[in-house]
Amino acid sequence: MRWGIAGRVFRRSMPLFAVLAAMLGSAAGAVSDPANPPRPADTPKPAQAGDPTTAPESKGQTEPIVIPFELLRSRHMAVQVKVNGTGPYRLVFDTGAPMNLVSNKLAREAGLLKKDERPVLPLFGMGGPKTIQTLEIGAVQLQNVPAIVMDHPTVGAMAKVLGPIEGIIGFPFFARYKTTVDYQKRELTLVPNGYEPKDVMQGLMEKLMNPPKGKPEPRILTPAALWGFQVDKANDDTQEGVTVTRVLPDSPADQAGLRPGDRLLTLDGRWTDSVADTYAAAEAIKPGQTVVVVVLRKGQRLELSITPRAGF
Amino acid sequence: MRSRLQTISMVPIPSLCPRNRWQRWHIAAALFLLAGSVAAAVAQPTLANPTPPETQRYKVPYRLTDSQHVLVRVKLNGKGPFHFILDTGAPAVFLTKSVAKKVGVTADRQGWAVFDSFEIEGGVRLGKVKGRIEDLVQLDGMNTLGLAGVELHGVIGYNVLARFRIEYDFTADKLGFEYLPNFEPPDPERLRAEGPDDIQMMGPFIKMIAALTGIKANFAVAPRGFLGIEVAQRDGKVVIQRVYPGTAAAQAGLQPGDIIASVRNQSIDVPADLHRALRRAGVGSPLVLTIERQGKTLEIRLELGRGL
Repeated sequence: MRWGIAGRVFRRSMPLFAVLAAMLGSAAGAVSDPANPPRPADTPKPAQAGDPTTAPESKGQTEPIVIPFELLRSRHMAVQVKVNGTGPYRLVFDTGAPMNLVSNKLAREAGLLKKDERPVLPLFGMGGPKTIQTLEIGAVQLQNVPAIVMDHPTVGAMAKVLGPIEGIIGFPFFARYKTTVDYQKRELTLVPNGYEPKDVMQGLMEKLMNPPKGKPEPRILTPAALWGFQVDKANDDTQEGVTVTRVLPDSPADQAGLRPGDRLLTLDGRWTDSVADTYAAAEAIKPGQTVVVVVLRKGQRLELSITPRAGF
Repeated sequence: MRSRLQTISMVPIPSLCPRNRWQRWHIAAALFLLAGSVAAAVAQPTLANPTPPETQRYKVPYRLTDSQHVLVRVKLNGKGPFHFILDTGAPAVFLTKSVAKKVGVTADRQGWAVFDSFEIEGGVRLGKVKGRIEDLVQLDGMNTLGLAGVELHGVIGYNVLARFRIEYDFTADKLGFEYLPNFEPPDPERLRAEGPDDIQMMGPFIKMIAALTGIKANFAVAPRGFLGIEVAQRDGKVVIQRVYPGTAAAQAGLQPGDIIASVRNQSIDVPADLHRALRRAGVGSPLVLTIERQGKTLEIRLELGRGL
């Protein structure tokens, strides 16, 4: 019975999601200009799958795959994408999108939505998460790619001015490669790197379903190795860096020449402007890895090479 | 807009019961939207030409946020660092109003400001970078719910990104930035907006979700406590190699040669176990170690100190 009520309540809460979804509309910059009717974009012809110049990806291949992109007048990047063998469709490539997103039109044509399948929400045709069996972008072919079905209002607005755009390609795609973005050549260059992107929806769901109870705990910044020094910074000290207050005898820091009183500016190229920053920088450095630290000593910048060791 | 807000406030509070699967999913879906592509409200036809950086190739440290955004740190006019998302879905640099205030820049009537110095961690320093001062609801919303796991201050979009050949490789701990000296990226064309004003309602709305679900942003960090030992792995055991004088380990009487058998009741076989056992132990945390010394088992109690 509670579920029945919940169902009704759910329907009544639609405006809530309307508002949430509207957030994506912030790319309003892309929207219509009557003086500039849609016209074909000005960019190189996208490579199609099967293009003789680029062989389809095979297992273990590490040859770079080049995918031309179109620079839209809004200066978004667009790529040609085939979904489950249909297409190509034009999608926006977005490093700031943690999810892939496809329109209802694309989802239906590519069989992601069944004929009689209705949107999960009657809003922007939100169809929930789907799995694309085969995603092809240029010579790249990926299996089982997650995507969300939705008629993104921003994408729709852009399409009105710029011609059809059927979604967004984001992190779950490009994270699988060493991806180089070159706006001068208007090319993406991809080399498979074995990285398996996490499912962001899953992570967010977990965060939502298990909100931490009680007093919030700080995240502990955990150095991956022992360096042998200590830093401090006064609350009213706004200068860059932190002050080294102690160096343990014969420690990696001592052997590298770090001295108490040194002002530590960077550790392996990372800013150390607070005690926390210093630890955060040390989180990434493993025992035995030699890195450069930059210190200020009596007005002089010094570069020291430190190799931290296994320790705690 | 007023009437819409009223509609929203009429949504009964139990409708956001976190135990309701549907609700969870929809809230999560909404959060995806929050975490979605951040794009610009306005693209100004002429973006200032930034002063080029000193050299061409850089290694830029980054982190992936909990929301899978690529985050880099930026100092603006020497202030910061601030947290920016790399976003090819945005036509320009965006910065929240409160950070703009901290930096001491003011926006012109169209909402744009110029940063005399725009420095990305890793040494990339540009001059005269144009950015938009605007509270993007996406960033606000993510910050309210703490979705990224770190506070977000802005977005780096096309006007800076296009000047570099950027290599993203999430198996490496840095991004590759290569400045393109002979390339003048074409400015975004002005496309008239008929944009949804509804966006502005999001801020208070997200705060309502936060209140109803009890989700709070928590960006607090603290250093791990320090023991003062070096260890090695020997015969499937973790052995203390060195104890630094004046540290928590020395004061508690740990000695080189001691085998660390367990910490906080977690058995230790490899250094990674020790790393895990200490992962949530801040400065001052009490610690119980079981060690083996010359065939005897000892229990050592200590409080973690400062250092790394």
